[in-house]
Amino acid sequence: MPIYNPKFMPKLIIDDITVEVPEGTTVLEAAQSVDIPIPHFCWHPALGKAGACRVCAVKMLDGPVRGIQMSCMLPAQDGMVVSTTDPEAMAMRKGVIEWLMINHPHDCPVCDEGGECQLQDFTIAGGHGIRRYDGKKRTHTNQYLGEFIAHEMNRCIQCYRCVRFYQGYAGGTDFGVMGRASMVYFGRQQEGPLDSPFSGNLVDICPTGVFTDKTARFRARYWDYDLAASVCPHCSLGCNITPAARYRELLKVIARRNDAVNGWFICDRGRFANAAVNAPERPRQALVDGKPVTVNEALDVLVLRVGEFLELHGPASLAIVGSPRMSLEGNIMAARLCKLLDAGALSYVGDAVQAERTMGAVSLLASGNAASLADVRQADLIVVAGCDLLEEAPMMALAARQAHRNGARVFVVGDECALDGARQELYESQAVTSLSDIPLTEAKRPVVICGTHPKRPDTAPLMAPLFGKKGLQTPVKFAFILDGPNAFGCALLGREHDAVPLSQAFAGGAIKGLISFEADLPAELTAGITVLAATDWQPTGLMQRAEVVLPCTAWVEQDGTFINNEGRAQRFKQVMRPGLPIKGLDPAGHPPRIHRNDAPGGDVAPSDRVIAMLIQRITGDTPVDGPLSGRWEGLRSLDADGEGKRLTDAA
Amino acid sequence: MELVLFRHNRPGRMTSFDEYRADGGFNALTRALGELSPNDVQQAVIDSGLRGRGGAGFPTGRKWSFVPRDLPGPRYLICNSDEMEPGTYKDRVLLEHNPWLLIEGMTLACYALGVNHAFIFIRRGYEQAAVNLRQGIAEARRAGLLGENILKSGFSLELDVHQSAGRYICGEETALINALEGIRANPRAKPPFPAIKGLWGQPTVVNNVETLSNVPAIIANGPAWWQGLAATPEAAGTKLFCISGHVANPECFELPLGTTLGEIIDGPCGGMRPGSRFKACIPGGASTPFFTHEHWDVAMDFDPVAKAGSRLGTGGIIVFDQSTCMVAVTLNLIRFFARESCGWCTPCREGLPFVRHILEKIENGSGEAGDIDILREHVHKLNYAFCALAPGAMGPLEGLLRLFEDEVREHIAKGACPFTTPNLCQN
Amino acid sequence: MIPESLRQELQRRVAGAVTPREAAVDVMKELQRHYGWLSDEAAEEAAGLLGLSPLQVEELATFYEMIYRRPVGRNVIHACDSISCWAMGGETLLRHLEQQLGIEAGGTTRDGAFTLLPCPCLGNCGNGPTIMIGDRLFGPVSPEQAGILIHELQRHGAD
Ligand SMILES: Cc1cc2nc3c(=O)[nH]c(=O)nc-3n(C[C@H](O)[C@H](O)[C@H](O)COP(=O)(O)O)c2cc1C
Ligand code: SF4
Ligand code: FES
Repeated sequence: MPIYNPKFMPKLIIDDITVEVPEGTTVLEAAQSVDIPIPHFCWHPALGKAGACRVCAVKMLDGPVRGIQMSCMLPAQDGMVVSTTDPEAMAMRKGVIEWLMINHPHDCPVCDEGGECQLQDFTIAGGHGIRRYDGKKRTHTNQYLGEFIAHEMNRCIQCYRCVRFYQGYAGGTDFGVMGRASMVYFGRQQEGPLDSPFSGNLVDICPTGVFTDKTARFRARYWDYDLAASVCPHCSLGCNITPAARYRELLKVIARRNDAVNGWFICDRGRFANAAVNAPERPRQALVDGKPVTVNEALDVLVLRVGEFLELHGPASLAIVGSPRMSLEGNIMAARLCKLLDAGALSYVGDAVQAERTMGAVSLLASGNAASLADVRQADLIVVAGCDLLEEAPMMALAARQAHRNGARVFVVGDECALDGARQELYESQAVTSLSDIPLTEAKRPVVICGTHPKRPDTAPLMAPLFGKKGLQTPVKFAFILDGPNAFGCALLGREHDAVPLSQAFAGGAIKGLISFEADLPAELTAGITVLAATDWQPTGLMQRAEVVLPCTAWVEQDGTFINNEGRAQRFKQVMRPGLPIKGLDPAGHPPRIHRNDAPGGDVAPSDRVIAMLIQRITGDTPVDGPLSGRWEGLRSLDADGEGKRLTDAA
Repeated sequence: MELVLFRHNRPGRMTSFDEYRADGGFNALTRALGELSPNDVQQAVIDSGLRGRGGAGFPTGRKWSFVPRDLPGPRYLICNSDEMEPGTYKDRVLLEHNPWLLIEGMTLACYALGVNHAFIFIRRGYEQAAVNLRQGIAEARRAGLLGENILKSGFSLELDVHQSAGRYICGEETALINALEGIRANPRAKPPFPAIKGLWGQPTVVNNVETLSNVPAIIANGPAWWQGLAATPEAAGTKLFCISGHVANPECFELPLGTTLGEIIDGPCGGMRPGSRFKACIPGGASTPFFTHEHWDVAMDFDPVAKAGSRLGTGGIIVFDQSTCMVAVTLNLIRFFARESCGWCTPCREGLPFVRHILEKIENGSGEAGDIDILREHVHKLNYAFCALAPGAMGPLEGLLRLFEDEVREHIAKGACPFTTPNLCQN
Repeated sequence: MIPESLRQELQRRVAGAVTPREAAVDVMKELQRHYGWLSDEAAEEAAGLLGLSPLQVEELATFYEMIYRRPVGRNVIHACDSISCWAMGGETLLRHLEQQLGIEAGGTTRDGAFTLLPCPCLGNCGNGPTIMIGDRLFGPVSPEQAGILIHELQRHGAD
């Protein structure tokens, strides 16, 4: 990751536009900053320069360097006069494209990258149309790289991005570059699944179709995709993603850039673990006592049964259960429902220890020293305590690796060091028994990363002395690994509404029934409790036991907000319409005999809407305020394409 | 004439340690460690006008002066003994006869640079040279001329021999550094230059075998004496010229720098072999543009050769007679460069095979008029490769198009190579 | 499996290097000397000795000309095809060697005695055409002399 010095700002002229950029910026980036695109293959903002492809040629007309230069390799300097349109520069770029196309198979019609291929774009942009080379093309054998990534080496243009990402950025050792001269081969020593938990980024980072996402192969062209800005729901980090869907089927997930959070990449769980969205058998049908009904009928029954339940047992015996994997909106509405019914307990988390640690983390961060993933990447000293980063928050491990590559020292504290599985693969760390062994005073950008998992030793008390510690060059920043994409939001709501962990709520024996929304609760915990209703898009145990089953949309089928582990609220947008994927429909039903506007299985709403409808029924048809009102008003204008909004900073 | 590099040579074998010492060997080192400061040694090399013998001709003393002496951590010296440029075999001949000059020269250089760990990076196939060096290093160490506290001066030096496994690109200094570190031998981006950030990120000087082997004489006899060995006032020192091809006596000779091409061929080379007339030569190893008869009187020194449109390069002169097809010569050279490309950058990896393809077509008789334009374009565009390999490869092609365009056109017009006599084995 | 003595020697070499990687080429060459070529097993062993993954060894092995990742004959004949040797009849010599051995350049004789590999400049340009058998350079080599050399090697192989 390049470090720029904003103190000195060289001023240069690019295509007659004056540009001022921080020292260390390349000419290529300086041009980009004023929307002058310069073709590039090997250069990548996260990987830096390589100077390999030579397609970013510009002509330096005046200043400290002259003539044709590679704009990716050249730091911007005062007095440079750059032309991207000079005929010689254009001829050079065209020549590079011609070379790259010599051995490229021209298989765009059958290539999955077609339409989202940088090589296509730059071939057009470069003006290369007629091939002068009439010899044989070089060919390679492809490898099986596992279930998720297809390999098509003939398309390779040797930009070296894949290996620079895989080995350099992500620390993988089972994939690389072999051979030399015109026979360089990017692959594994022997066929087999890629080891790196970040391997899927090869798909995004390859500028052409060497690595394509097998899960979406041959299903759609880029322009056919339903696309929207979204956020990954698989852990608490909130990496930004762009899911791609077609015909109500989530085809694949693409990493979406957010410099403050995930940068350019995501982990393989976020990319490849989404098959549940498409499962034809996932809850799509409202049920009452196992019988299919419409959503309205189900809600009517539920209102009646809740009334009966309250009459029989009293409101104190009812628990409303939200969830750290549900949107902020859903959880806000759950709290409102709880208040409306005067229910005995509002709960977002099952486990008391988890709840307590999450709460502790959130109150610590409230005073504004939360570390973003960007802070971790730029740290010069990192302390990891009580977590297995690769397991619990893979992108945090990758961020720590970047810091380590730039010279940061990493320390692991406590007896549980062995937990940190990322240690050997991604960075070297030093095990220490106590905080005093860590040279914190030497650090300019120290970050402490703590786990909150209930099965692990509690590290917060150990770290507490660092909080607001005097005598350091810079205050320590903290990152906590929480449990779920909205764990932070649930903690805020929990504090506001006096939520209790469900295990605690059940402890007194008063709770007899519950209504749950996208909650994952261990079966032992809820044994003997009546599940009046459950809302979810996943077939959880609660959904199987619920008297009233209300399916809801998955996150890609709705708008919503998650608050990530550092307190950053991020908006995700609806990518696709809910309903059975066409692929899952019974062919016997085609062509459809019944004409309707809804897709089959599409009669589902986001959880917050489900709760709103329920509230509306209970209160008697007065319109219900949207969830983002009152203290949440400020999040309404959140831009899904922005960096999100850190709630901890406001405090 | 006065020899420096071949002075101690014994016919057909390596000069022994005792013979070298008896000839005054290691006196320069003894004197330097006793009387001279590191800076004095560097200054002598600067004053001598010694220019690098590895191909680029960069002033050696100046290169040394770029090395910061105040950065923390070690500094390194690497002797570049990769010598894989076709037509070049001077370093092998030198090391097979006399590894002592290099050992002494490196020790002096390390003293000047404040280096305590140096490497000799030697190509594959130079087994005898490696054996000689290892033996030489062991003997010098026994005599207290290497290792800890050399001659009780407080200066220590470890000298390691690293044998490569064969790739021309390993001779490029930054690729060499990667190769030595055990990384794929792609060149590194410059800046930072090795003098600032080289081997394991530390300041590093890379010098050729012949370059370093000159240092003892410079220190022993003084820079002025050494400089005066050249044939012209502008040149400095002697040079190993290694000749191959169609001359009567193709050998490696030590001659005053600035001796003319004609003097070399007609002198020690004994003229052309019987039946051969001079047509052209490559003056300085495979990556230099051709010379023809019009260059007969060019002084073989860096600047005059450059002024005449070529490069002195390594001093590997490859001579061709009237029966030689220059398209075929160029094709042979391009095949070499295309095969030895490291595969990092597009112009070299893809452009050289394209050039090879076009030259094959022309040589096989299926060339077209437009092919010459394609070749010219490549001569220009391959200058923008990542390292100097691809631009070097364009040297002979540029020469072909400048000096032998008619011959190329004749191939195209005839639809066949006009040189029918195959190059037979001549022994 | 390599003999314990060789393993220990290589371990010492690796331990003596500034970084283990520095010894990579030495280790690969020694293993190649033992097996005749850098077999898959040898690549694994090299990886183990160097603390690298097999892929990382492969990245290096496939870069160098003289590391063989495919089996070769007991005698590897390298025939220089670079410019000086070419000018002195290197192509004719190569054709001759092909005929003599009954294989094409790049191939190995059926009995596993010879592999014939064209190669870049051997640094023996004044004595072209040059061939290298094992570590030994020969030049200038006439077709007749090549014939004699091969005969001698065949006889030695039979002993
Ligand atoms: C492709 C390539 C191959 C080279 N091969 C060699 C070589 O084999 N030996 C050598 O001394 N220099 C070689 N050089 C030059 C080196 O990069 C470097 O300039 C030289 O070793 C410096 O030594 P000197 O200053 O003593 O000449 C090569 C350069 C290039 C671009
Ligand atoms: S010019 Fe490019 S591909 Fe060729 S050797 Fe240099 S870096 Fe490698
Ligand atoms: S050209 Fe054959 S040994 Fe140099």
